[in-house]
Amino acid sequence: MADIGLYALRLGLLVCFVGIAAGLYAGLQERPEWTRVAERSLLLVFAATSVAMAALFWALATNDFSLTYVAAHSARTMPLHYRLGALWGGQAGSLLLWGWMLTAYGTVAVLGNRHQNRKLMPWVCVAMLVNIGFFLLLTNFESVPFERMPHDQRLSDGNGLNPLLQHPVMLIHPVMLYTGFTGFALPFSFAFAALVTGELGTTWFRTTRRWTLFAWSVLSVGIMLGGRWAYEVLGWGGYWAWDPVENASLMPWIAGTAYIHSVMIQEKRDMLRTWNIVLIGLTYGLCLFGTFLTRSGIVQSVHAFANSDSFGRIFASYVILVLAAYTVALLWRLPKLRSPNKLESVLSREASFIINNWIFMAILFVVFVGTLFPVFTEALSGARRILGPPYFNTFAGLLALLLLVLTGVGPLIAWRKASLTSLRRQFTIPAIVGSLVALVVIALFGFSPGYWAIACWGLAGFVLTTIAQEYTQAVRSRMRRLGESVGTALLTLLSRNQRRYGGYIVHAGFVILMLGISGAAFNEEKIINIRPGDFASIRDFRLEYLTANAIPAQHYGGARARVALFKNDQPLAVMTPEKRMYWLEQQPSSIPSIYSSWREDLYVILTALEPDGSATLKIYHNPLVNFGWAGGTIFVIGCLIVLWPHPEKLLAQTAPAAPRTGEAGA
Amino acid sequence: MTKGVQIAIGAAAIALLLGWYGMGQLNEGISFQYFQNLDEFSSSAPEMVGRTARVHGYVAAESIERDLEGRQVRFSVQNDPPHARGPVGETLTVVYGSLETPDLFKDGAEVVVEGQLVMAGGHPVFEATNVMAKCPSKFKAKAGLMAESGVEL
Repeated sequence: MADIGLYALRLGLLVCFVGIAAGLYAGLQERPEWTRVAERSLLLVFAATSVAMAALFWALATNDFSLTYVAAHSARTMPLHYRLGALWGGQAGSLLLWGWMLTAYGTVAVLGNRHQNRKLMPWVCVAMLVNIGFFLLLTNFESVPFERMPHDQRLSDGNGLNPLLQHPVMLIHPVMLYTGFTGFALPFSFAFAALVTGELGTTWFRTTRRWTLFAWSVLSVGIMLGGRWAYEVLGWGGYWAWDPVENASLMPWIAGTAYIHSVMIQEKRDMLRTWNIVLIGLTYGLCLFGTFLTRSGIVQSVHAFANSDSFGRIFASYVILVLAAYTVALLWRLPKLRSPNKLESVLSREASFIINNWIFMAILFVVFVGTLFPVFTEALSGARRILGPPYFNTFAGLLALLLLVLTGVGPLIAWRKASLTSLRRQFTIPAIVGSLVALVVIALFGFSPGYWAIACWGLAGFVLTTIAQEYTQAVRSRMRRLGESVGTALLTLLSRNQRRYGGYIVHAGFVILMLGISGAAFNEEKIINIRPGDFASIRDFRLEYLTANAIPAQHYGGARARVALFKNDQPLAVMTPEKRMYWLEQQPSSIPSIYSSWREDLYVILTALEPDGSATLKIYHNPLVNFGWAGGTIFVIGCLIVLWPHPEKLLAQTAPAAPRTGEAGA
Repeated sequence: MTKGVQIAIGAAAIALLLGWYGMGQLNEGISFQYFQNLDEFSSSAPEMVGRTARVHGYVAAESIERDLEGRQVRFSVQNDPPHARGPVGETLTVVYGSLETPDLFKDGAEVVVEGQLVMAGGHPVFEATNVMAKCPSKFKAKAGLMAESGVEL
């Protein structure tokens, strides 16, 4: 089977070259019949890489330890789902996955554009195939998933997957990040095709709108799941640490979020043509750069990545090549990219979206500088300096507050030029509610939460009120005009104008997520050394250390402490933090025990069982964490509403002659 | 003056204000030096007294003492892994003011200590506020295992 995978990769690479040549010929010579060749090549590469994926899954499932990759990342004792998950537990496998996903998106593009965008398609194929080709080169020659162990070194069992990755979330988190990253290749390729062909209207991003939103949504969820995993597995009491790896996934998300907002301005008002082209290039560039960053070892992350110098160099060359080609095409078309429309007023939706973009760029700048600070300082002064989380929290936090303001203002303010009366009508109630919320927070807690948390709550009140106001107004008007019931009116709104009203839900999710983050202002932590039968307390919780037992032996062993949890002397739960030892990997791991309610989390880690029979426990009291996860869930629901296929619009798409109905998208 | 320029000026003013405010929020310890190894740190030790730094090294064999009463952990850090050949070289005494050591913290572990160098009774002692440990890995390709670990992207 493994050999089939290897040959499939070889074949895929070959077909990839054929496809690139065919696409170039079709594009340059305007030979549409060769476009079909390029497209079919793309489909064939998809088939070939699918076979390779299946072969690697098979090798992992059947414990084929003659393969270096399987031996290094899997083991017999691991349950099947983690053995399969090892496909993205290491470098070679994750590169294969990345390449395969690109081919999947390419296939989507080919199948969706059999009868439209015929002029763009050869260049879309070329751009996709060049990206795919790079990953096929890597998996064929540099980081080969089907490489065999030398005969004399074959093992009867593998090394096993890093125990920290043996967690349900880790089965999907990397996949979601890759789905997001690779998804941006699609609008990137269409933008490139638009530049080359000079078809610079709205087609390139309209065609890819749905898939871009899909990629963006999945990336968002992937990032949030990463936080969830860190919280449940890493045992340091938090979900986000501004580590370079986290930042590497956040940066493309920031650029991508700016992009999905600013294309709306081009869609409605035909402004920002150049900027959108730049932005999607930046987004995809950051997807690649993030991968380069975490793999090349240029930033001393806390992670020791599988890095080799040659890999870093190859990858850097590729990123530079892709971005250079894109930039050249962009500069060449610059004269044609002038937008006919100008900004008319600072008080307009256009302006608020432009400011939104600048804030996103500012956050991106903050994260970028902070992540690469050691590299910059070493180049300038020879000494590596590090910027800690307070830097990120301060600057990104401030900018995020501004973003919150715009979350409330942007979707409501009028196009072109807003009148003062309309502003007053739309924002008086939300502004009052927001101020009241801030005052209530101050009345309850004083200024102890800090300016950030207070402002965050006030702004959240403001934004959520604007959203509620939009919904009530629209529902009321439908009820009055059409005599619909509340439920029907709401459902029709969501299905007729899913982009706008789904978008509001995404915004609401984001706001609630920010509230969850603001809970960190109240976090408290404690480290205690405690004997069986003794008590410790944190806020209004009390913990009694009962005992510690051995964990029944499996592929890991260790100890489980039993700690009784009381709140105001009411027994709540028995918490069982564990200290595990993964035998095969010779790696210890502390698994926290979390008691979670909507208000707060109590998080206990067994740091050590001391020789004198006492236990050292680390306790965290983290308020509002569940707001974060709840906000994330609402966010996802909003994304689903926006993305949900709409029967009438699908019909309109298949009949391109039908005139487009103007959507009042937010 | 076009609207674009107006917005640009407004944005620049806000950016300056934010930057100024943010810089005020950041204290001394926000940015600190990172030393790839102990030798490097030792050679610049005199001037490092009282300044925050991160130093990379290895826990010297049998040097870990957990002081439950004093709620601290003492250990020594050396430049090379303990199993490496040759002389051990200089070691640095580290006092970590917490019992909360990372999972992978043990003899010979690769660690990064964060804190300040102080002179205690004429001897330099590194007072750590944070100790992070890496896997003494038998695999070449593994995620590092520090407090804020993640996964290969």
